[in-house]
Amino acid sequence: MARTPRTFSAWAGAVILLILMIGIGLLVRREPAVSQPIAFNHLKHTQELGLDCVFCHTYVETGAHPGLPDADTCSLCHRAPLGESEEAAKLSQLIADGEPLRFNKLFRLPDHVFYTHRRHVGIAELDCTICHGEISETEIPPERPLVEISMSFCLDCHLEQEETVDCNACHR
Amino acid sequence: MVIDLDRCTGCAACEVACKSENNLATVSPEQAEMGRAMSWMKVISEVEGEFPNSTLQFFPRPCMHCDNPPCVKVCPVSATYLGEDGIVGQIYARCIGCRYCANACPYTVKYFNWYGPEWSESELQHLNPDVSVRPKGVIEKCTFCHHRLQKAKEDARAEGRELREEDFQPACAEICPTRAIIFGDLDDPTHRVATLKDDPRSMRLMEELGTEPKVYYLRSRA
Repeated sequence: MARTPRTFSAWAGAVILLILMIGIGLLVRREPAVSQPIAFNHLKHTQELGLDCVFCHTYVETGAHPGLPDADTCSLCHRAPLGESEEAAKLSQLIADGEPLRFNKLFRLPDHVFYTHRRHVGIAELDCTICHGEISETEIPPERPLVEISMSFCLDCHLEQEETVDCNACHR
Repeated sequence: MVIDLDRCTGCAACEVACKSENNLATVSPEQAEMGRAMSWMKVISEVEGEFPNSTLQFFPRPCMHCDNPPCVKVCPVSATYLGEDGIVGQIYARCIGCRYCANACPYTVKYFNWYGPEWSESELQHLNPDVSVRPKGVIEKCTFCHHRLQKAKEDARAEGRELREEDFQPACAEICPTRAIIFGDLDDPTHRVATLKDDPRSMRLMEELGTEPKVYYLRSRA
């Protein structure tokens, strides 16, 4: 059958609609930005001061969740004003006022994924950068995860390392 | 798993332990009347003989974790599958709630969530964080407390040793006051269940269907 101008425009319309839908889908899918109460400088703490990740993320080797530092952890060093940055001064003030400090989770997994840091960091001794990227070199907290973690991201690594790909290992 | 029916007193502690361990939703009495109650481990009682010469027989019934599971064959989305450690898993995020598996299962141990779970304030406090809370519209089933196996494997690996028999017990076996429920690896000759399954009292439910269930019952009466 010959392609009439009408069928052509219908096709063009369909293609444009598809592109639009994919575009909107990508925009909607984008995770919301995560803000933090203090603009923590990972570069300063981990690279210049040489602090270990476990210093602030206490349970990274032993628990499912690594834990985020609270005011008590920060006050180990920041009880008295320390450094020259505005954020450090803000933090010391917060501690002095006895205000709680709650950092927000940046890397989030869906509810049906059961991930444990113990298995990956404590036992398998994986490097943090595999999933978290160069977070230790950021000077201000990123608003979105530096690495997009998807099921295929996990599976690729599991297959490469000849680890379990049993569904129940992560979903239950 | 081996269940010694001669030792079972029908106390249903296994049922309670299972519900508590696996965040099983409570179903209203009206819904339960309609057969919508969920109990991954169910103690079934049966009267044998006629009064006054009657006895009450109890059958604790978990998922049989068949080696040839009929439920797996009918699942159109591979939400239920036979895992590498022999456990028949159910992946809730993948389940579309078609209920083919519930109908295919000859033991009727697959349960459908007709409603989303409702928890009281106090119940919310003691939900097990290692097990998901199932949403409305998916099938759920006994997992032999797979999350405990995961934890036990993790502990063994962290300590650099092999998994031992006592490392992993499902909640029902752990709670059983008469030790009627015995759990272990049927393929490991050092485990008690490997010996017990060859006991003269041993039998399996509906063996003739060829499902090859991994739950053995011990019963001295025919």
